[in-house]
This record gives sequence, C-alpha cells and structure tokens, in this order.
Amino acid sequence: MVSQTPDVVAATGQANMLDRLYDSVLNIYRNHTFRVIIQAIITVWAVVTFTFFLVRLMPGNPIDVLIEQILVQEGISYQEAYDRVAASFDFDPDATALDQYFDWFGDVLRLDLGTSITSPGTRVVDEIARYLPWTLFAVGSGLLISFVLGIVLGMTMAYYRNSPLDHILSLFASFMTGVPNYIWGLLIIIILGIQLNWFNVGALRGTYDVNTTPGFNLPFIVSVLEHALLPIITYVVSTLGGWMLNMKSSTMSVLNDDYVNVAEARGLKDSRIITAYVGRNASLPLFTQLTISIGFVLGSGVVIEEIFVYWGLGHYLFASITTRDYTSMQGVFVILVITVVFANLIADLTYGFLDPRVRVSGQK
Amino acid sequence: MSVINSIFSSIWNFIKRISKNKAGFVGFIGLIIYFIVTFIMPSFVDFDDEPKLDEITGPIGSRIVLAVHVDDVDTYKTMEDLEGKTVGVVSQTGGPIFIEPYEDTVNVETFRWNSRRDGPGIQAGLIALANREIDAMLIFSKSVTEYIDNQEDPELRQLFEDNIAISNPTLGPPHLLGTDTQGRDIATHIVHGGRLLILTAVLGGVISTMIALVFGSLSALFGGVLDNVLTALTNLILAIPRFPLLVVLAGLISFDNTLFLGVLIGLLGWPALMRAIRAQVLSLRERDFVEAAQSLGLSTTHIMLREILPNMISFVAINLIFSITFAMYEQIGLVVLGLAPISDYTWGVMLYFGRTRGTLFNADGASMALAPVLAIALFQVCLVLFARALEEVFDPRLRSAV
Amino acid sequence: MSQPMNDDVVLRVDDLSIVYQTKRGNVQATTNISFDLKRGQAMALIGESGSGKTTVSLSLIRKLPKNALITQGQVLYQRDGNVRDVLKLSKRELREFRWKDCAMVFQGSQNAFNPVLKIRTQFEDTARAHGWTDKNAVRERALELLRLVRLDPERVYEAYPHELSGGMKQRTLLALGVLLNPQVVILDEPTTALDILTQRAIIDVLNEMQQRLNFSIIFISHDLSLAAEMADVVATVYAGEIVEIGPVNDMFYDPQHPYTHGLLTSVPKLDHEQDFVSSIAGAPPNLISPPSGCKFHPRCPYATDKCSEDDPTLTGEKPDHLAACWNKDALLEAREEIARKELAQ
Ligand SMILES: Nc1ncnc2c1ncn2[C@@H]1O[C@H](COP(=O)(O)OP(=O)(O)O)[C@@H](O)[C@H]1O
Ligand SMILES: [Mg+2]
Repeated sequence: MVSQTPDVVAATGQANMLDRLYDSVLNIYRNHTFRVIIQAIITVWAVVTFTFFLVRLMPGNPIDVLIEQILVQEGISYQEAYDRVAASFDFDPDATALDQYFDWFGDVLRLDLGTSITSPGTRVVDEIARYLPWTLFAVGSGLLISFVLGIVLGMTMAYYRNSPLDHILSLFASFMTGVPNYIWGLLIIIILGIQLNWFNVGALRGTYDVNTTPGFNLPFIVSVLEHALLPIITYVVSTLGGWMLNMKSSTMSVLNDDYVNVAEARGLKDSRIITAYVGRNASLPLFTQLTISIGFVLGSGVVIEEIFVYWGLGHYLFASITTRDYTSMQGVFVILVITVVFANLIADLTYGFLDPRVRVSGQK
Repeated sequence: MSVINSIFSSIWNFIKRISKNKAGFVGFIGLIIYFIVTFIMPSFVDFDDEPKLDEITGPIGSRIVLAVHVDDVDTYKTMEDLEGKTVGVVSQTGGPIFIEPYEDTVNVETFRWNSRRDGPGIQAGLIALANREIDAMLIFSKSVTEYIDNQEDPELRQLFEDNIAISNPTLGPPHLLGTDTQGRDIATHIVHGGRLLILTAVLGGVISTMIALVFGSLSALFGGVLDNVLTALTNLILAIPRFPLLVVLAGLISFDNTLFLGVLIGLLGWPALMRAIRAQVLSLRERDFVEAAQSLGLSTTHIMLREILPNMISFVAINLIFSITFAMYEQIGLVVLGLAPISDYTWGVMLYFGRTRGTLFNADGASMALAPVLAIALFQVCLVLFARALEEVFDPRLRSAV
Repeated sequence: MSQPMNDDVVLRVDDLSIVYQTKRGNVQATTNISFDLKRGQAMALIGESGSGKTTVSLSLIRKLPKNALITQGQVLYQRDGNVRDVLKLSKRELREFRWKDCAMVFQGSQNAFNPVLKIRTQFEDTARAHGWTDKNAVRERALELLRLVRLDPERVYEAYPHELSGGMKQRTLLALGVLLNPQVVILDEPTTALDILTQRAIIDVLNEMQQRLNFSIIFISHDLSLAAEMADVVATVYAGEIVEIGPVNDMFYDPQHPYTHGLLTSVPKLDHEQDFVSSIAGAPPNLISPPSGCKFHPRCPYATDKCSEDDPTLTGEKPDHLAACWNKDALLEAREEIARKELAQ
C-alpha cells in the first residue's frame, strides 16, 4: 500500500502527507506489538486453564490423591480432609468447579499461588520469588553469551568458509548441538571437576557461599559467579553450536545479497559492512529461533540445576515433585510458562524493533 | 537375483553419496557400529548381573590376577599349572565365579568375605598364601593394590611384601570399562543398555513425525478453519516448555512403563515439525505437477500420497532423525532425574545410578557415569552428523525444522 | 593505445584481459579490451548475454568475483590532472576510490539497499565512509538529488527500502550514485527488471542528471533502443572482445561488423535477453576454448578461410569508428542488397 502511493509528486509542501505516513507506519507497528501481546495472553490463559484441569479434574488428580492420603493417615472425615486440602490450594471448597476456575484464574493474576503442602504456611509465590532470579540469571547469561558468541563465530565461519578453521568449527558445532545439555553437564563435572580437579564441585552447591553476606560486595558477587559458572558453561556449550551453524548459513546467504555487494562498491569501511549490513541482517533469523531456544533452555534447567545442585526454579520444581508438594509444583509450572511466554514476547518485540519490515507486514 | 542386485546397487549408491560428506560418513559408520553393539552383540555377551564385593568401582581394564608365593612365581602361571594344588578364593567376589570351571582339577579354599570393606576374607587368604598354607590365590587386580600396597599394619605389610608376588597379572578377562558400584562389568551393561533406549526414542520420534506429517499436510491441503485450529494448537503447545511439562506429568502420573513414556514423548513432540511440514506441503502444492494433478480432478488423498509425499520423503526422513534425538533427550533427561522407569538397565539408568551413587565424584569409578555419557553423546552426534549429511545429499534447499 | 591521455579523458581501459579460473578450465571472459571514455560522455556496451560486458564493468571498480584473474592491462582514471591505475591501488585507496570517483549500479540488483536501514542512514553511511561527516550537508545534497530524480525527497529520505517500489528504489540508487559527485557512473543493465514505463522514466532521469551534473556514463545493455537513446559512443562486445566501436549514429546507420549488423537487424523481444539475437544463427562460443582467428567466424555469414586463421584487429577509415573484421566489403554489399530490396518493396 505504501509503495503504491504516487511517487512522482511535487517536491515541497508535503508535510501533511508525511505526518499521515508516519502515523500509519506507527499504527502498524503498534499492531505488531499488539498482536504479539495478544498471542502471549492467550497462551498464558490456555496454560493456566490446562493446569487447572490437570490438578483438579483429571482422574487421579493431586487433590483427590491428597485427600485420600490424609484420610488414610489421620482418619478424619472426608469433609475435613477436603477442607484442609482446599485451604492449601487456596480454593473455596463449597464453590462450583466453574467458580473455582475463575477464582484460580484471579489468584494467578494476583500471583497468589497458594501455600506449600509440605511446609504449611509458606506461600508458594514467595518461594518462587526466591528461586526464580537465580534461574533467570544463569539461563539468561548463558543464552546471551552463547548467542553473541555464536553470531561472531558463525560469521567467522561464513567469511572463512571451506578453510580448515571453518571445518574445525563446524565439527565442534555439530558436537555441541548433538550432545544433550545434561550430558555436557555431567561431562563438565567428571572432566573439569573430578579428573582435572579445576573446580571443587562438591563445594559449589547452592547459588552462593552462605558465609558471604548477600549484597553488593565483592566476596558475594564472586561466590555468585562461581556457583553459576558451571551451569552457565553448560548452557553456553549446549546452545552455541546451534547459533554458530545457523549464523553461518544465514551469513552466507546475506553475503550473496545485492546490498552487501553494493555497500562494498560504495566504499564503506569493512567494519561498517560487517556489523550494520551483514551482521545485522544475518542475525535476524536467529531472533526467531531465540524464541524457541528460550523455552527449551529454561525447561532444561530442571535437569541442569539438579545436576549441579544449583538452587534455581528447576531445582525447586524437582524438589516439589519428589516431595509431592502439588501446590508448589503447580505454581512453579505456571510461573515457568509465564516466564517463557514473557521472554518470547521480549524476543518478538526486539525482532520487530530490529526488522522494520515486520512492523508493516506483521510477519516474520 | 536382479532384485537383490538392484537393492545392493542402490545401497552402494547411497553409501557412495554419503561418503562424499566426511562428517556424514563418520556418522553413518558410527550408527552401524551402534547397531551392531546394541542389537547384535547382546546375543553373544551376557549381562553381568553378579555383584562382586571386591570389584566395586574397578577402574578400566581391571581384572582377576593370580597371586602366589614369591618362590612359585615361575611355577604357577596358569590354572593348568595349578592342577591338584590349593587355590584360595574369597566368597561373594569374582573368584568363585572364575574358578568354577576348574573345580575338578584344583582344590578350592574359600575365605569368607566379611561385610567390612577391608574384611578379613582377603586378608586371611593372603596370610594363608604368605605362609604357604595355600598355593595360589585369585584376587582382583584393584584389591592387590588396596590390600598389599596400601596395607597400614607394618607387620602384615612386611609379610605380604616378602612372600607374595603376582605371577600372572592377566589371568581373568579384563573389565574393558571397569566395574560399577556393585562390581559388575560396565561394558556388558553398555552392550545391553542401548536397545530399549533407542527403540523407545525411535517410537517417540516416529509418533511425533507421523502426527506432524498428518496435521501438517491436512493443515496445508485443506486450509480454512482446520488450518487455523491446528496452527493455533501448534503455537500453543510450542509455547509450553516441554521438558518441565513432562517433569510435572511424571509427578502426577508416575511413569512405570518405558514404552508408555516413549508414546507420551511422541505425543508432545510434533509441533515444531508440523509447522515445517505444513510449509513444505504449501510450497509443494504450488508446483506444476501438483497443479496438473489437481486439474485432472484427482482426489486430495491421491495427490497427497502420490504427488506430495514422495517429494517430501527425504525431508521427513531427516526430521525423523532429529525427532528421535529429541525423544532420546527427553527420555534420558527424565531417567537422570529418576522420574522415569529405572527397572530396565539402560544407559540412562546407568547415569542415574552413577549420579545417585556418587561414582561421578570418584576418580576410580568415573567410567560408570562416563561410559553411558559417551555412549549417549556419541550416538546423538552420529545421528546429527548423519542427518546433516542427508540434508546435503538429498537437497540442500530443504532445511530442517529445528 | 599508448598515447598520452588528453585532459578530457576520464577513464582509459588499456589492453585489458581477464580470465575466470574454473574447474573446467580458464574462461577467457575479456580479451585485449581498450577504450577511452571522455568527460561527460556516455558509452554503451552492447552484446549478447555472456559476452563479457559485466566482467569489464566490474573490473573498472575492481569488484570481480574471487576466481577472476586480470592477466594484463590497465584501468586508468584521470581526475584533476592525476592519472591513477585502479588495478594498482592499495586496499584503502581502492575503498576511497569507489563511489567517490566511480559509482556503479549492478546488474539485477533489485535489493541494492540494506533492508533494515533507512535510506537516510545509507546516504549518511556512504558520505561518512568518504570523510563527509556533516549530516545536514549530506541531507541537503541528498534531498536535492532525490528531487532531481523526481521523488518526494523528504519522504523517501526517511523511508525504509521496503516502503519504496522497484522504480523508486532504482531512482534512489541513481541519486545515491551521484551523491559524491563521481566522474564516472557505470550502469549494468539498470532497467532490465523494470516495466517499460519505469524504464522510460529512469532513462529520462538519467539523461537529465547527466546534463546537470556532467559525469560520464558507461551504460551496459542488450536493449539497442535504450543504448541509442543514452549513448554518445557504442561498443559492441563479442566473446570478450570489442569488435566494433564508434559514435552512436555511425554504429547504427553504418555498422562495419557483421555481429553489430546482426544485432541491429534482429527483432528485440522485451525482457528476453536470450532471444534478441535470434537472427544471428548459432550460439555464443565456449570461452574456455574459443574459436581460432576471428571468434565470430563460426556464426558469420561472410566468413572466409582467413577468418578462421587470423584474428582481425580494430581498424577503420574514420579514426573514431573502428571494427575488427576482414570482410567489411562483403558486409557492405550485403547491406546495399538489403537496402535495394526494401526500396523495391
Ligand atoms: N564467476 C565466474 N566464474 C566463471 N565464469 C564466469 C563467472 N562470471 C562470469 N563468467 C563467464 O564469463 C563470461 C562473461 O560473463 P559476463 O561478464 O557476465 O557477461 P555479460 O555481462 O555480457 O552477460 C560468460 O561466459 C560467463 O559464463
Ligand atoms: Mg551481464
């Protein structure tokens, strides 16, 4: 539509039209944002509903199991047991299922996720707030490092394609992607930790050294980095290969694009061409993949954190499953999904910001 | 005859094409080796199920050796040399098992294993040997170091050093990959531990791929409401991190059946591939031959099966391989966490025990975790290399879904 | 051509030969090409697809593919009395030379602009790369040029490439091409991908710009009518050689080479490069092992034994109209014959 406006127009006095153009572009941009946000909301709604179904309605659901358990253990009446479970899950035992559903929905929106079953009185959301930041820190820095490194190495491979360097990096990349991330974790423990003795893996349990005082002081920060180091390395190593290979093929196709050739003919400096012309365009497809990767890596955190005994959300989820702490489990799952959706939202919006074409066509 | 010929020649062609891509060829050979090791070798190698108390976390290559009195070093070297002599073994170790075939020709003196690790069983045997009460003793190579070299009692140490020598350090067959926390041979576990894992992963991968294929083609061929619904469903499932979902499901419905787990993984694993297949079918639909078929009024089923599917075979095959790697990833991930069945002794279960029994942190026992780690890692790498090579061999334009 | 360069010569190509090294052998893409381009002059290179036009033009800014090898020759540019051989410039000098001295519109470059940067940024990038950092000055010059190519300057300047149509992009590229006031602008089939109306508009704009800014043009085309409209001088390229060169009128009304004549008498079909020489029998030669003697002889209706033995050089009665052919007389006779027939009708 924009391109069909008459292009042979008088040169001056077009401020009015310019404004309109700005407006429409801006509007469409808002639309892209709008659409992405709507999708995120729908996803969250669906998952919250799904979780409700899983916990309340599915045969053999946790609520029935718990009631059964209390009945057997304490020999109280069914109603009493039911009320007690309802209190933990924070729903009104006398309401209809539909009302409970709306109630649950409202609770989630208010981030009220009930109280822990195994340690009564502890609010699940408080526990999550304790664990989540560590996971975000480790996964976030791991992804960020591997994304940036992958872009740089992938471009290097494309610029030196078919050289020995490219072949070696390709082989490494295949290894890095092929081997599952928890296998990398175990390898890191066995090789770096035990055989080479570079890290005292046993002492790196948790997220920081309890002898330090949390806050902005050097010993604390150092211990935080120390504890997160191995998980971060694992996230980096297991995702780096994918970015490298993707960036390589993407760069190779961009290098064939006209505008790179023209930029060279325009006498632009190499540094400018590599960054703003090749790098920027070649990395665009990677942002789409980032959305898949975020969910995957956050999800794999459950095993990785367990392997390194890193006390993040994954560790908390696993702990609540082994102790059958259903309310915690449900809360962590919902928060995990919301985190993924939110991270995807940010990636999507960043993409829209980086690629002007998306703002108009609304598609990737 | 000619059928066999043509089959052979097409296989040969395929091998020639894949061998152009070095990495892919390595992957291909690797997969063949894996097939032999995990599917054929189990018929020839028995699963070592015998706990052996003195062989716990034996290092790679450790085995039963023959200890004799220093004066007999040149006399007794094999079991044949010991005909009619007295040979000591320790109960609940590899000794009694090893000596079974020779029980008619030698006298066996059994020393009782004591529940203590440095129990008097071995010690008593060695003392007896040093005093020439018995002629030889079967002892595990790792135990020799532990009981003779590391002996803390100076008197005993002196006694052992003066009187005992190893006359045959390679008497028993070696444990190629060492022994686990129960003294069982890890190599036999590796041989037996792959089949179920691989079959389950293939099951999961096939289910995912089938669903993706059906949904993707339906979506692309019929469009409209069906397409919208399927696409929305796909996006939704894609937004849920799959592994935590499996973990939560494992917490709600305990997975006690490996095959069921495979099916479940398959049922959750199709969305990314469905998108890719939908795009493929959409683009194939635009091609001339499909349009021609449509204009001839051929049915959609016919077009799908006869025109479109044959053109997607390689694409689907490649993505099937990737699906298998994902199914394997998830399955083993759950096992490592202990949330999936550990009754069958697979590589994943070996990892689980390696982790929970702490051999990970024991330099001698590293192989209990390291062996399955490498078995899984190399298998996945072979699959990925092979799939990438197929991608290049078949059609470089077709890119995988992930 | 070893005479000294006159002041009005801005570009001299001297005895230039280029091969492409391929697995199947060396492709002789350009052989002993020489020509002078004068200030303000527009020269057209015409010839079939694969005759080496693009190769020549790319060598002028040293932008040949990696497998190309310049085996001999010079490409001399003269600016303010200084003569420089492009082929001898250092990497840095070359970068500064490009676009400032010689700008180029590549063949088939539909996406000459970086899709994620505004047109403004791409103008500024170009200026900054050549030491011109005053953004306001760049803006003023750019708007003036965009107006010159008949675009809505303010709008286009702030637009992203995808917001412009193909014709608009091509004109924006022309404006960008002359941003730094180059002496020479090379246009390699600049209109092939555009519809006929847009083609016209581009040619008009180009003519107008050239009049105003007085740069020299090398215009590569297979479309003779466009070439006729643009050019002062026309060179016919066949199998990597210039087989005829001369002023536009002489070339069209008095072609001296059978190939040029063949091009002129064939009926052009729109947008189909391949078809337009259909009246010349045969196909362009294989440049890995080109024919002996005159490379055109296998397809030439007037060929004699001599043609397959000796390679003719460029000669002519007029000093500015040269052709490489042994049998110019035979062609002349044939043309007179045709003319008689037409008269008779
Ligand atoms: N990169 C290359 N490698 C090998 N041969 C090439 C390459 N580029 C062009 N050629 C060959 O060089 C000859 C001249 O090509 P080109 O300059 O593109 O001709 P034109 O522009 O007149 O169509 C052709 O035979 C073409 O096949
Ligand atoms: Mg060309």
